[in-house]
Amino acid sequence: MAIKILSVDDSRTIRLIVGKAFRPYDVTLLEAANGEEGLAVAAREKPELIFLDVTMPVMDGVTMLTKLKEDPALKAIPVIMLTAESGRENVLQIARLGVRDYLVKPFKEEQIVEKAGRCVTLEKRPVATPA
Amino acid sequence: MSQIIQVPNICEFMNRHLMDVFETMLSMKAVPAAYAAMPHTEERVTGSVAFAGDHINGAVYLHLTTPFANQVAAAMLGLSPEDLGEAEVNDVVGEVTNMLTGGLKSWLCDSGAECAVSTPAIIRGSAFVIEPTPGVEREWLVFNCDRNRIAVEIHVKVC
Repeated sequence: MAIKILSVDDSRTIRLIVGKAFRPYDVTLLEAANGEEGLAVAAREKPELIFLDVTMPVMDGVTMLTKLKEDPALKAIPVIMLTAESGRENVLQIARLGVRDYLVKPFKEEQIVEKAGRCVTLEKRPVATPA
Repeated sequence: MSQIIQVPNICEFMNRHLMDVFETMLSMKAVPAAYAAMPHTEERVTGSVAFAGDHINGAVYLHLTTPFANQVAAAMLGLSPEDLGEAEVNDVVGEVTNMLTGGLKSWLCDSGAECAVSTPAIIRGSAFVIEPTPGVEREWLVFNCDRNRIAVEIHVKVC
């Protein structure tokens, strides 16, 4: 069965890049444009992994992560933060929140897959056979 | 605040960072070029992200001609330029500008000048110039990317 990965980012570009990276794999990509939507999708779909942006309108990634960790039903979902800011303080703050890993923009698609592969088992998408 | 926070050092950082962003995200080689401003008559897509803190504030503008902006968006999303609408191109140019400014923010913070960044905005058109307000320095960084031109305009005020 396909594993569910949730991409929470206000940039549609980043969500499309994450989706493109997992196209060869048996993954169902779920999307949300901010932390509030992300929490709702996470509660409904129980994804196996979340890619989470830091700076977003409505609810930022740090707030969403904090709420996720407070929810007994969701706190075990591994989270990989995506951030355009690689400064020491920013990285330390993210690490303190209990994320599994983080990825600094700019990044290559292979890095997304590699980081995800450390959290979940990725299998190649089954090839469709003619009827 | 660190002595590193000087306009020439900011430009030097941004030169390296832009080449890294284009190489990593787009597999495109950007090469620094001699100064030549983007012709103001050319149709272009400009991304802007502002940064502000106690010791420094300003903005980064990324100017791309419209055909090149379409090419950049197609490369980033793995689509052909014909499949892209204005909204997708705007989003990609905004995201690239966000990465450029996010990197600058990290460099500034690590150098002692804490600051925050805005969300990206897009300007489309041909006959426009962005004038800095009094006391704000403007620097141009220009790059060649294959046969295309990339111009980065940095407005900065060190307080």
